Amino acid sequence: MRPQATFEREPARRIFASEFRETRYQFKEGDDEKSPNYVIFPTGIRSNRIFVVGTLTEKQRQGDQNIFYRGRVIDPTGTFFIMAGSYRPEAMQQLARIEAPAFVAVVGKPNLFVTQEGNCLVSVNAESITVVDRETRDLWVLDTARETLDRLDALGTTGDSRKAQEEYGTQPEVYRKIVYDALSQVQM
Amino acid sequence: MNLSDVTERISRKLESSGAQPDRQKIESRLRRLVEEFGVNVAEAERTVTGDLAREHNLPNLVSSSSDLRPINEIAPGEWVTIEGKIVSLTPSISPSIAQNGIIADSSGAMRFVVWSRANAPAMEYGHWYRIESAVVDEYKGSPNMKIHSGTTISQMEKDVPLLPSITPSAELAPGVGSVRAKVIQDWDVLSDRMLQTGLLGDESGTIKFVIWKEEGKEKLELDGVYNIYYATVDEYNGRLSLTLNTAMYIADEGDIEVGRNETEIQGALIHVAPGSGLIKRCPVEGCNRSLSRQNYCPVHEIQSNFRYDLRLKGVLDDGERARNILMQRDLVEKLTGITLDEAISIAESNPIGMDEIFYRVRNAVLGRYYTCSGGEFAGRMLVDSCAPVTFKPEELAALLNRAGGEVA
Repeated sequence: MRPQATFEREPARRIFASEFRETRYQFKEGDDEKSPNYVIFPTGIRSNRIFVVGTLTEKQRQGDQNIFYRGRVIDPTGTFFIMAGSYRPEAMQQLARIEAPAFVAVVGKPNLFVTQEGNCLVSVNAESITVVDRETRDLWVLDTARETLDRLDALGTTGDSRKAQEEYGTQPEVYRKIVYDALSQVQM
Repeated sequence: MNLSDVTERISRKLESSGAQPDRQKIESRLRRLVEEFGVNVAEAERTVTGDLAREHNLPNLVSSSSDLRPINEIAPGEWVTIEGKIVSLTPSISPSIAQNGIIADSSGAMRFVVWSRANAPAMEYGHWYRIESAVVDEYKGSPNMKIHSGTTISQMEKDVPLLPSITPSAELAPGVGSVRAKVIQDWDVLSDRMLQTGLLGDESGTIKFVIWKEEGKEKLELDGVYNIYYATVDEYNGRLSLTLNTAMYIADEGDIEVGRNETEIQGALIHVAPGSGLIKRCPVEGCNRSLSRQNYCPVHEIQSNFRYDLRLKGVLDDGERARNILMQRDLVEKLTGITLDEAISIAESNPIGMDEIFYRVRNAVLGRYYTCSGGEFAGRMLVDSCAPVTFKPEELAALLNRAGGEVA
């Protein structure tokens, strides 16, 4: 007999940068120290991991004792801020090795940071970054468009999406336009 | 037993014969019999059903519990009379059970239990019996016939050979089933009470099997083809498995092309797990486990005559579900463009050795889209075929239409 897989890994959600940038709401499921942290996206789904493919346009090494890298990854709708610190040396070294500009695939955790002035900064704590090609980028745009449209269709029908409507006042037509504009930038 | 359940059952029975019974009336009659007259529920059900059938002029319902019924048509909740052959008797697991086993006729087979309190005559393996007024209920999702004190058992002089009908493994349902299958995997037993466990396969798919230790039970041979009659089909966590202790199994000629329960998934490869790339395998025949860096096999200890292999353990994620996948050497070679021989020579001449292959494999596949098909096993897809996803302009067009009708 083999052990049953009881743990189901969270899927990595697909989201465009302009929606990701608007994310403000986060919560913790359960009281345990190790309980997962989730964010809820404006189109109404919880997530503790995302998958992004875009163009790495710049990267910077920062910090003296606690070295980390910051990168900007551009998709057709905006910019993702990517962080890779020494607590994830693999991802940090992957990013250190990549020369911008390059198409990259990033898997990471959404991270919200509220500044003293009350501004909310949204970034991705990278778990891995690899160089990919243009076709993978185009596939990701289609994939993300499809997932976003599916979420818009389900808006108001799930607990998470009702929460999103409450928190963000999500207007589906705004996100439909974002999806349309993103798709328009992919060459046939 | 709850009276409203019984009411529901009686109503359905009458409705299926075209009558329109009054549920309240049924329930009040049942209640009267049970509560005022102390009739047991089963008997009350029979009485009320009979009365109503007469009132609605449905004579064939009246005698329903004494009409001979084929076993495969019996559903839980019915009172039945059957004629069948005892095809399996298993040791009783409780003092309140006198006998348990499987009874079969030409239509099918069913598990049965004889309660000790029934004081029924012991039935013998291989004989035919007529069993009147037994009740069928559901036990662990499958129909099970209960022989109680109101049941009449009479031995029959009949001895008709029964040929159980073989079911494709993909169509088995909890209960009793017969299959013709090949032993495709023989796993380590993890319990002292277990004689053997592994995987059986036929043209339609695969199913796990178990044989518990018991006097006279023999193991199946790996790669052997068997006719397995009257195995018990159990369901656990949504998966079926076969217990062969009730079964008779006979080695058969020929071979079976085992079908796989193939599924196809498309998604991004978002994780390449440790243990991917170039690995060492235990050379002991039939072992094949992967060795640690120090060439240690969890069973056969240090093995320095290991052989190399390539594999990929990862996670394919479609945005809705993340699934573990496992690819063997040929697919890894195809996806990465690195052959096993090249990988070995790179690893042997590189300062970081096998890690170099892990990084090369990871960099070649991580973050890319693939379509994989294969069989799912213990929460992991064993990938048989895999191809990179290609960009299709018609998908872009369809999505533009979906997103944009009113915006454009």
